[in-house]
Amino acid sequence: MKKLYTLLLLLITLPVLSQTIISGKVSDKKGEALPFANISLEGTYDGGSSDIDGNFNFSTEEKGEHILQISMIGYKTLKENITISDTELTFDLKLTESINSLNAVVVTAGMFEASDEKKMVMLKPMDIVTTAGAGADIVSVMQFLPGANRVGETEGLFVRGGSANETKTVIDGMIVQNPFFSSTPDVPQRGRFNPFMFKGTAFSTGGYSAMYGQALSSVLLLNTQDKQGDNSNINLGLNMAGATASYTHKGWITGTVNYTNLSPLLNLVKTNIDFEKVPQGFGTSLTINENFDNNSSLKVYGTYTDNSSALVLPTYDEQNGTYLFENNNVNTFSNASYRRSFDEGNWVMQAGLSYSNNKDNLLIDDINSDRNDKRTQARMVWSRLFGEEQSSSFNFGAEYHNIKLSNLYGENELNLDDKFTSIFAESEFYITSKLAGRLGLRTEHSSIIGEMNLAPRVSLAYKAGKYAQFSLAAGRFYQNPDKEYLYINQNLGYENADHVILNYQVKKNDRTFRTEVFYKKYNNLVSEETESFDPNPYRFPTGLTDNSGKGYAQGFDVFFRDQKSLKSGDFWLTYSYLDTERQFKNYSSQVLPSFASKHNFSAIYKQFFDAIATNIGVTFTHTSGRPIYTINEDFKNVEYTKAFQNLSLSASHVKQFGNQFVVFYATLDNVLGRNNIFGYRYSTDGKERYAVKPTSNRSFFFGINWTIGQLNGRSKEADLNF
Amino acid sequence: MKKVALLITLAFGIFSASAQKPAYEKAMTSIVTEIQQPGITESLQPQTNKMERIAAAEESEWLPKYWVAYGYAMESFRKQDSGEKDQLLELAEKSIAAAERLSPDNDEIEVLKAQIASARVSVDPMNRFQTYGDKFMKALAKAEKLEPSNPRVDYLKAMNAFYTPENFGGGKAIAKPLFEQALDKYSKFEQKSTIHPSWGKMESEYFLSQCQ
Repeated sequence: MKKLYTLLLLLITLPVLSQTIISGKVSDKKGEALPFANISLEGTYDGGSSDIDGNFNFSTEEKGEHILQISMIGYKTLKENITISDTELTFDLKLTESINSLNAVVVTAGMFEASDEKKMVMLKPMDIVTTAGAGADIVSVMQFLPGANRVGETEGLFVRGGSANETKTVIDGMIVQNPFFSSTPDVPQRGRFNPFMFKGTAFSTGGYSAMYGQALSSVLLLNTQDKQGDNSNINLGLNMAGATASYTHKGWITGTVNYTNLSPLLNLVKTNIDFEKVPQGFGTSLTINENFDNNSSLKVYGTYTDNSSALVLPTYDEQNGTYLFENNNVNTFSNASYRRSFDEGNWVMQAGLSYSNNKDNLLIDDINSDRNDKRTQARMVWSRLFGEEQSSSFNFGAEYHNIKLSNLYGENELNLDDKFTSIFAESEFYITSKLAGRLGLRTEHSSIIGEMNLAPRVSLAYKAGKYAQFSLAAGRFYQNPDKEYLYINQNLGYENADHVILNYQVKKNDRTFRTEVFYKKYNNLVSEETESFDPNPYRFPTGLTDNSGKGYAQGFDVFFRDQKSLKSGDFWLTYSYLDTERQFKNYSSQVLPSFASKHNFSAIYKQFFDAIATNIGVTFTHTSGRPIYTINEDFKNVEYTKAFQNLSLSASHVKQFGNQFVVFYATLDNVLGRNNIFGYRYSTDGKERYAVKPTSNRSFFFGINWTIGQLNGRSKEADLNF
Repeated sequence: MKKVALLITLAFGIFSASAQKPAYEKAMTSIVTEIQQPGITESLQPQTNKMERIAAAEESEWLPKYWVAYGYAMESFRKQDSGEKDQLLELAEKSIAAAERLSPDNDEIEVLKAQIASARVSVDPMNRFQTYGDKFMKALAKAEKLEPSNPRVDYLKAMNAFYTPENFGGGKAIAKPLFEQALDKYSKFEQKSTIHPSWGKMESEYFLSQCQ
């Protein structure tokens, strides 16, 4: 009974007598105080928060063995086994940073990430359509980015001294055979894809991942949108170059038809081109996008387009002589990808299939000249996530391409048949949250080359401060020679390039500063022996060829973007410096290639006016002169074109009523009316030359887009595409 | 002796069981009052920390998890950096999802889900107002269906209209009747207990005055 009495007494007095104070200080590994950390005694309400100096103290009635838990956003939770008695306990607690989106370093060398839902990144579909002077064309916007060289008379991305053929466009991991509408001499073409098809656009300036290949300079990685909603809607568009209509059913399937006809544009805008037949075409596409219950998703995109045009081009050889260049293009492209994750996301499998068939029925000066490109490809990649917060990954996969190319000119038919296989493995890993690495290896076999190649890639990234980081990328990149050369010589080997890139980036509060220094060495480029030099870029090779060409490119670029200083405003500045020389194709000496320019500068400013729901964009670009090579050029006293400059404006106005949504847009190109000249074409004797000019000296464009019904994921200004 | 021991154990058991509730409610009430106070400029992290401790100790209660999510969502509005905002909103989403597992089809949880979605939109409106805008709409519609008299549904609708430009179907003229409707519902609203949500009334009054 006595015992019981003591026990009862103890029970009653316990709460009163035994408050134990637990105090201490929370700091990081460097000793910096961490305010607002949560300190708790596991399983109880007892605990406290650290103050601005990292100090905390609280009292508890608990006794004996307990676990003291310290948690804080961005840090690993710390658990300490403690024994509570009557005496005050004091702790000096050190927390380690966890790997998270805010502090983790990312490999940025050579990669200009353009869009990713999770991270606050550089460029999104919206940024593409609101950029003046780019006409809502993905590649045209990329040409304003650091590392890109603007070349006005032809489509494609010229990156750091590389030709347009050295950049591959990749959709969901698969190479796109014909990313642009069919090429016509000296008339640049638009890309075939609408920016809003993609959730992410990453533009590489070199040193890219081992997951991709067959590009000496750059890859443009486009990742298609995931399913985002299950609304149905109708979208109609009308502008100076055509009309489009699409219907989305419950967010998972979209069908589109469009008709293109440049008549209204050509009637209103003066052009430098003489059209015999106004470009017109018909296109249709089908998109399927579905997520399944078993953590998998399927994306299918298929498109069919039929375009025709006829141009009158000067022959250059006789005064006022002309010939007709007529093209009927039929393009089929389909891409399907399936993604599934297993084992709670620890394993991810991605499989893809793609087929494309591009037919150009050309009539050049009454001679049949048909081109046909067919590519079937399959690809599979497995990823295994590991490490803290699953932040590291090991990826491996393979791809197979069956490529059939043919070119007819009069009686001559040329054929190429290539079976291309590649295997690759790559690991991205964190050593600490501040130091990350990426090691990859890729091997390729092309049946036409008949050899294997081995391309190692390495990247490192180090976080130098809260907002700053250094990044380094290096590797070897292979590519098959251009088809024109392979047609005539199938004993050629791979061309290759070695890249080294050092990158420094600071990103703080919606302001980004980024600079890159690079060195690129070209080896085994195709070199053609000709009796005399012919500068015509559209010439068909005739001389003996081998892999003895070489070259280099070096330079730096600087990029600054500010989305903070001006409310609803966005400002970018880009400058790229390029020093490059190469001896390749029919160049007899190592010189600056005719497509390269030393200085590229662009300034882009966008302002959204909330009150009037209007976006205004201004873009100014400056590209220094390019070399002009003449017939029989000796590459000694080279003349340069005058600098290219362009100032463009764009405006779009948005209006919503009920569930209907209307966007009006207008653009004005080359506001100052500058006479830009890209280069010259020569008569065969070299005595006469003709300037290559932009399609129009000054032009404008306008259109309207109307959506009925609830939108899915696509942004409301989505349909500025024209 | 045995009997006495049993009796004591029982008594103690009952004592602790019954004592736990008042302790829970008492601890909760003070934090809930503090955290819902409009116009606080200091960090809500200490209150959220306290709520986190209760949520960890009371694993089967949805309300502590609800308030943790609320704390993080409100804290996100105090941050400037978009990365930090997103980090807090990620925690808010995790916590409200945990609350929803304990109490599915709960109008207050749907309302908070809508609030978090709208905070996500505000980080990057141009690019997000479709994805998160859709989540916002869906959560609010569900909340309204579950409890038509919940005034916070109208309050969030009104706030959304208030911050949406006129050309995008918003504006003060559209927000005004919504705030009035919200206030009408607030006047009839009875808080289920001191630890249940009651926020939004003073804010509605303030924003209604801005609509004049």
